[in-house]
Amino acid sequence: MINQTLKFVVAVALFAAGFATQASAESQGCIAVKTTAEVEKDVVNDKGQKTKVLVPAGKVIPGTEVVWTVTANNACSQPSQNVTINNPVPEHMTLVPNSAIGPGSTVTYSMDGKTFAAADRLTVQENGVSRQARAEELKYIRWELKGSLQPGASAFGRFRAVLN
Amino acid sequence: MRLPRLLVAAGLISLCGFGATPALAVGVAAGTSIDNTAQVTYTVGSVSATATSNTTSVTVAEILDVVVTLQTPSVPVIAGSTQQEMLYRVTNTGNGPETFHLQMTSTLGGDEFDPVAASPSIYFDTDGSGDLSPGDAPYVAGSNDPVLNADAFVTVLLVNDIPAAVVDGNRGFSRLLADARTGTGAPGTTFAGQGAGGTDAVVGTTGADSDATGQYLVAGVAVNAVKSQTVADQFGGTRPVPGARINYTIIVSATGTGSASASVFSDNIPANTTYVPGTLRLNSAVLSDAADADAGDFSTLPNARVRVQLGTLTQASGSQTIQFAVTIN
Repeated sequence: MINQTLKFVVAVALFAAGFATQASAESQGCIAVKTTAEVEKDVVNDKGQKTKVLVPAGKVIPGTEVVWTVTANNACSQPSQNVTINNPVPEHMTLVPNSAIGPGSTVTYSMDGKTFAAADRLTVQENGVSRQARAEELKYIRWELKGSLQPGASAFGRFRAVLN
Repeated sequence: MRLPRLLVAAGLISLCGFGATPALAVGVAAGTSIDNTAQVTYTVGSVSATATSNTTSVTVAEILDVVVTLQTPSVPVIAGSTQQEMLYRVTNTGNGPETFHLQMTSTLGGDEFDPVAASPSIYFDTDGSGDLSPGDAPYVAGSNDPVLNADAFVTVLLVNDIPAAVVDGNRGFSRLLADARTGTGAPGTTFAGQGAGGTDAVVGTTGADSDATGQYLVAGVAVNAVKSQTVADQFGGTRPVPGARINYTIIVSATGTGSASASVFSDNIPANTTYVPGTLRLNSAVLSDAADADAGDFSTLPNARVRVQLGTLTQASGSQTIQFAVTIN
C-alpha cells in the first residue's frame, strides 16, 4: 500500500512536469500570425453587377489604397488570453482615417508606439494649441481581443493606408 | 487623467513635425519596397508569448507622367526674321527616371501664319540663358532624348523662322510635345516590368504625354515724321528772304503693335540757314541747346544739326511734336 501511494505521487509529479514543459513549448508557438496586402478591384459578377473584390497587391502606384490584413490563428489546444495584435503603419503610407477594424477587438492608435488611445483621444500640441492628431500622424495600430482566442479560432485586424 | 495625456502629446511635437515635412510632390520613388510585419502578444495560462508575422511587401510601381509648360507667353517678331525661339519646360511629374521624346509642330490651326521650322528646330537651353546661344545643344530624336529623374525638368527651345508675307498683328503657333518613351495611353495603362528597377510602369493622369503651344506675334512698328514750316520775314510778311525766319514743326508718330526703342530724331540744319539758339522744343517744352540732362541738343560738328531723344515709342505714346527755328543767311 505504501508502495502504491509512492508510485502514484511519482506519477503525478512526472505528469505535472510533463504538462508544464508542454504548455511552455506550445505557448511559444500557439499563435501563427500572417499579414497580407490587397487592393480593391472593380469586377462585374455573374449577375452583371459591378462589385469590388480584393486582389493581392503586388505593385502599386502612389495614391493607391492598400488593404492590410493581419490574421492571428490559435494553433494550440488551449485558449489564448490577452491577444494583442500590433502593426505599425508601413513606411511611405498614410492611414485612412478610422479604417482599422477588428471583430471582437478594441482598436487603438498611437503616434509613438508607446501611448495608445482611440484616434479622437490623441492630441498634438501645435503653436501652443492642442489639436486632435491627424490620420497621417497615426503610425501604429493595436487590436486587443476582448475575449480569449479559442483553439483553432482566428482573430483578424484590418486597416487601409494610401501609398504616398 | 487629462493632464498626463497633454504632457505626452507635448513630448511628440518634434516627431509629428518631422512626419509632416516630407510631402513628396511625385509620390514614393518607383521601386521602393513597402514592408509590413505584425506582432501578436498573448498569454496561455500564466505564460506570455510573442509571435511575429511574415513580412508582406508591395513594390511601388512607376508612374509615367510629364508636363510641358510654356515659359514665353508671346514672342514678338517681325516679318522675315529667322531663328526666333520659344522657351518651354518639360518636367517629369512621375516617380521614377524616364526618357522622353520631343516633337515640334508648327502647322497648327487657329493662327494667321505657320512658323517655318528652323533646322535644327529643337534645342536644349544648355547654358540656361533662356535664349538660343552657341552653347545650346540641338535635340536629336533617339540620340539625346532627355532622361529626367522624378520631379526634374529640362528647358527646351523651339526655333522657327517667320515668313516674309506676314503683317502686323498676325499670330503663328508652335507646339512642343513630350511623351514618355516607355509608353503612353489612357491613365492606368500598365507596361509590366518596364518601370524603374523592373517594377511595372503605369500611365498617370497626364497620359504620359503633354504639350504646350506658344505663339509668335508679328509686332511691327513704323515711325513717321511729318515736317512743316512757316516763314516770317523781317518786314512782317512770309517771304523767304535773307534774314527771314523759318519755323519748323516735325510731328513724329509710331503706328503698329510693336515698339521702337531708343528712338532718336535728328535733323540737319538746311544749307544757307543758321539755327536760332534756344528754339528747340519737344511737345512745347523748351530744350536747352547743350548736350545735357534734357532730351535735346544742338551741335555744329560734324555738321549743324538738332537732335531729340524720344526713347521708346509705341502707338500708344501718341505723336511727339518737335519745333526749332532757323534764319536765312
